[in-house]
Amino acid sequence: MDLLKQIAEHPIDPDYAVVAARQPDQRKRHTTRTRLAFAVIAVVIGALFTVAALQTTRSRPLVAKERDQLVARIKSAEANRTRLRDQADSLAAENARLRSTGLGNDAQAEKLRTQLSELESRTGAAAVVGPGLKIMVDDGTGKNQSGAQVTNQVLDVDLQVLVNGLWTAGAEAIQINGQRLTALTAIREAGQAITVNYHSLTPPYEIDAIGNPQTLQARLLETSAGPWWNALKQNQGMRYDVSQAEQLRLNGVPGLTVRTGRTR
Amino acid sequence: MIPILGLIAGIILGLILEPGVPPFLQPYLPIAIVAAMDALFGAFRAYLEGTFTDKVFVVSFISNVLIAAAIVYVGDQIGVGSQLSTGVVVVLGIRIFTNAAAIRRALFHA
Repeated sequence: MDLLKQIAEHPIDPDYAVVAARQPDQRKRHTTRTRLAFAVIAVVIGALFTVAALQTTRSRPLVAKERDQLVARIKSAEANRTRLRDQADSLAAENARLRSTGLGNDAQAEKLRTQLSELESRTGAAAVVGPGLKIMVDDGTGKNQSGAQVTNQVLDVDLQVLVNGLWTAGAEAIQINGQRLTALTAIREAGQAITVNYHSLTPPYEIDAIGNPQTLQARLLETSAGPWWNALKQNQGMRYDVSQAEQLRLNGVPGLTVRTGRTR
Repeated sequence: MIPILGLIAGIILGLILEPGVPPFLQPYLPIAIVAAMDALFGAFRAYLEGTFTDKVFVVSFISNVLIAAAIVYVGDQIGVGSQLSTGVVVVLGIRIFTNAAAIRRALFHA
């Protein structure tokens, strides 16, 4: 408080008073040299004001323009990615067609073809259809210790536990929001979103799992995913709806390749 | 007369030359301007009180700007740069207001 009082009570440089007391005659205080320095400082101050004003007014549209350019670049990169993915999909379909025609029609070719399609559905390269479970999962709302409303987000760990539980319960193929889980898929948090196959997902999350419809749901309850998600539902208010589905259509991830490894 | 002519000359020079500010000096420009305004108002009040001296003005302006910039620089290094600039602006702002009020009283007797 004393500091603030001091600032308010002595707003002028005390040297003005000191010099004025030392040299009472006004004219003696101004020499040509100090006059010149004074003029230079006045010019500098004027220039400072203009430069700062120009800088702020000029840089504002520039920043907005830069932002727009970045947004446009992101958009075009996204469009490019979608185009490349479509191209990869159609090439993969063409590949599959050529392979099955190239194999021929004898018994060995038939065996290879069955083996291939079975491997493709197992690894997640091929689309599969079948009965199974459809699980809807979403963020919950609850109250924290101080009673304020908070959002309880579904974390990557929660989805990982659920997916691991489904595999344990005997699921044969799983996808989250249309992203098939392959042998190379990771479920992880990137920024604010959960990423699967390098796609950012938005809640609610729909987990489709193909498996034996008679046993899948009961066995899921016995895995660690069952208690985990029942606790999340009861304590955090998250959505967790499990329902049977007659026919689920799961996408494939074409172009699933191992580049560095070799088949032994 | 000198200060007003000087200010106008500076503004015109700035408009004509449009000098660019190097990026590392940009955070200090607003602080330098607030310090300059403080020096200007202080000088005008001293002038009205009959104690104005060119030399004191030049020295107080340069030291004000340098110290304000140094405080912000140190703040930037230790991660409280924006808080310290706020502090500098508050202190200099109080001085500017007090001086402006004194100038108003001296000029208009109100």
